[in-house]
Amino acid sequence: MKTEYDYKPPNGKLLRISLEYDEKKRIIQNIQITGDFFIYPEEGIEELEKNLRNTLLLEKNLFDKISSTIDSNNLIIIGFTVEDLVGGILGGICRDGKMAST
Amino acid sequence: MEKWRLLKTGYANAYRNMAIDEAILYAHSKELAPPTVRFYQWNPSAISIGYFQSLEREVDIDECHRRGIDYVRRITGGGAVYHDKELTYSIVISENHPEIPSNILESYHRICGAIIKGLYNIGINSRYSPINDILVDGRKISGNAQTRKYKTVLQHGTILIDVDVDTMFTLLKVPDEKIKDKFIANVKDRVTSIRKIRGEEISFDKLADALKKGFEEEFNIKLVEGKLTEEEEEFAEEFEKNRFSKKEWNYRR
Repeated sequence: MKTEYDYKPPNGKLLRISLEYDEKKRIIQNIQITGDFFIYPEEGIEELEKNLRNTLLLEKNLFDKISSTIDSNNLIIIGFTVEDLVGGILGGICRDGKMAST
Repeated sequence: MEKWRLLKTGYANAYRNMAIDEAILYAHSKELAPPTVRFYQWNPSAISIGYFQSLEREVDIDECHRRGIDYVRRITGGGAVYHDKELTYSIVISENHPEIPSNILESYHRICGAIIKGLYNIGINSRYSPINDILVDGRKISGNAQTRKYKTVLQHGTILIDVDVDTMFTLLKVPDEKIKDKFIANVKDRVTSIRKIRGEEISFDKLADALKKGFEEEFNIKLVEGKLTEEEEEFAEEFEKNRFSKKEWNYRR
């Protein structure tokens, strides 16, 4: 399944998330996070996207994976929080209702 | 009093403009260039997008080609900008310089302070609005974006001399086509320019003088006009050829 979802956190920057995921296994196959935010160093976005692949689409798993990537790469993110990104990732799936009943 | 370099590089195309900023950043990190403030313009007019943005989601590329508008991905984050009637500045300075806060948001605020003082010098009261804007009466007059590489800060930004929101949104895609008109009306309300505020345009040179003083006041330095060094010219050519003019770079997201 594929979703595209835009999420603008309050007082933050726009997150535009393209997600490919496996409905049955509930894992991320591929993700691209674009938008007008800031990440220092910028190359950290690739680490974030790479590490999110194969992550279970559950709030806690996403939160932990994002947090550990930020910590291990010393990333500074301006424009969204970890919670915002988790919400942005799950937002498209919730909207499309594909996994709500599983 | 500390002396920094002032560069007025005039008009250039989008690839070269972005390449010069990165060349100064790189040269300064190698101690081949002093702290530098640069003022410049774009010919042809151009779209720049933030490092993290998707070119195809943000920009109507066909329309850019039809109108002869350049487009380029920046090495800084932030949003898409239509560079038309504006002054663009950049500042390159070591992350360890005592005048530069180590906290990124505080350093935005500090560098924007120079722009705010510059605008005050032409009679405009403005204020910094986090994360990266400068506002006049609640309306945006300046957008800014910063990167830090090799322990060096590069911040660049625009000061709008005049603004044409309708043309801007023939080139930039709106988030939701269904509410395009409303979105554009809203942007018109939230954006301003020196022309709108003063009722007349200001010359680039006059604005550059005011901003030069603004930087001198904010950082308690003297700006001395200079040129790009030979090394910087070489770096700029390299970055223009191998990064900013490349499809792989501009379409990478």
